[in-house]
Amino acid sequence: MAEVAPQNQNVDMDLEWMDKTGSWDTNAEPGRNGLTLADIQIGDYGEIPDYSRNLSGRPRGSAPRPDSMRLGNYTVREKSEIWMDNASFLYEEALQRQWSSATDVPWETIEPLPDDVEQAQCQMATFLTEVEFVAGDVPSRWVAKTSPDFFEARQVLLAQVNDESRHMDVFRKRALANGGGLMRSTGSTAGFVGGIDLSRDFTEMSSRLHISGEGAVLTIFRMGELMAYNDAEKTIYRLCAQDEARHVAFGVMHMRYMSEHAPERRDEIHSYLDEAEGGLLTSAANPAGTLNQTSESLAILLGGGIKKFDEGWRKLVAIRRRQLMEYKKRVISAGFGERFENGRSRLTEIMEQAAA
Amino acid sequence: MSRAKLSFPSVEWFNAVRKEFNTDEEFHRRGAGHCNCVAGVKVGDDVFVLTFEGQECTSVEQSGELALADADFYMSMDAVDWQEMLANISKHGHAVGDYTLNTLDLNRFDGLATSVHGDQFREDMFFRFNQTLQFFFDASSRIDTRFG
Repeated sequence: MAEVAPQNQNVDMDLEWMDKTGSWDTNAEPGRNGLTLADIQIGDYGEIPDYSRNLSGRPRGSAPRPDSMRLGNYTVREKSEIWMDNASFLYEEALQRQWSSATDVPWETIEPLPDDVEQAQCQMATFLTEVEFVAGDVPSRWVAKTSPDFFEARQVLLAQVNDESRHMDVFRKRALANGGGLMRSTGSTAGFVGGIDLSRDFTEMSSRLHISGEGAVLTIFRMGELMAYNDAEKTIYRLCAQDEARHVAFGVMHMRYMSEHAPERRDEIHSYLDEAEGGLLTSAANPAGTLNQTSESLAILLGGGIKKFDEGWRKLVAIRRRQLMEYKKRVISAGFGERFENGRSRLTEIMEQAAA
Repeated sequence: MSRAKLSFPSVEWFNAVRKEFNTDEEFHRRGAGHCNCVAGVKVGDDVFVLTFEGQECTSVEQSGELALADADFYMSMDAVDWQEMLANISKHGHAVGDYTLNTLDLNRFDGLATSVHGDQFREDMFFRFNQTLQFFFDASSRIDTRFG
């Protein structure tokens, strides 16, 4: 019988990697929310640099590898460009509050609807599928541009992309679930909404997408419960509104952080808000605004059919005012409320026009 | 169904709902889950403050009007409107039609949810955690409720 060599005796092992070059003896402990990202922001691992020189994809807190090649073309390397105080909470919240469009929507409650109502519902489903493409595409581009030192903010964006993916599929499913189908592409993504993707800077993108765009869509999702004709549609809109409110929270908190840590950019941000108020909130890009395909669909759904269009239109106008009021209060919450006091914003005038 | 009838609104009633809500996994899935906020409930002149942490509603306290200043948002209706909502929930096992929290909010001129501070970021938590809040009140279908 051949002699068996004792294990490891003839193996030349390189155990240099076992030198503990990062902080050791860390003992993160779970709290009431489980073991969250906030719970592991301890010691060196919780120190987020104001400026990131990490171009190698090195996980924050790990030992650097001096001979590493550059891995990412990270253009977002200043903390104030992307940070917010609640990133880790929003990420955990997003993961915890996921839902399935396949099994958590009571699809069996959908029953045949009058043709005009089904057509309006399908037009809105087509529109929402269209805009959710933008809402998914845009943040995904910024993930790869952001330094891994700011991974908490990246994680929130990744969770948002997942949310938007579900929104795309759930509205497509609704359009195809009740004898209708997809209707005309609205083209709304060619204007202001499409322009979100042309943003050169994360804050520019976030003010356009999270504050203006998603804030407006959040109101649409919420009013979805008023234009739902069964429990399935109510569930879809309510759950989408939750997701959208989380995305809006990202934008508000980021703008607050940016305002406090890079006040020299405040005027620049006001110009994005000028653009949004003139473009998105009042024009054809707003589904509750002047785009006929969506505003007429909404009025038909809210009224209960084309014969009750006027009744639906009155409800739509009331909701449009609420949409603008909520936008205004979010901008104030984000720290840019002076625009409503110093005459820079035309929102009050716009709200009066909306009421008329 | 709890054996003794519990009076709405009261701390005992909210605690009974809290127990049902905290212990049934069904209320922590399907778009619900972690929820961290302080929600006020105003029933006529009676004020209650509910604290949600993680997957649970961790406390209910009866307070005065001043306590609403610390709530992220509060839901306010006359007693008779709360009664109608709870009757709908009791009948169907969960809110249907015009009696979901979000629909009640949309159908009222001043909304159902509001705040003392006027901070939309905190008021938005009513939307962000809406399914959790809905499940909380839906859990009341298991409580034998008397009104007044």
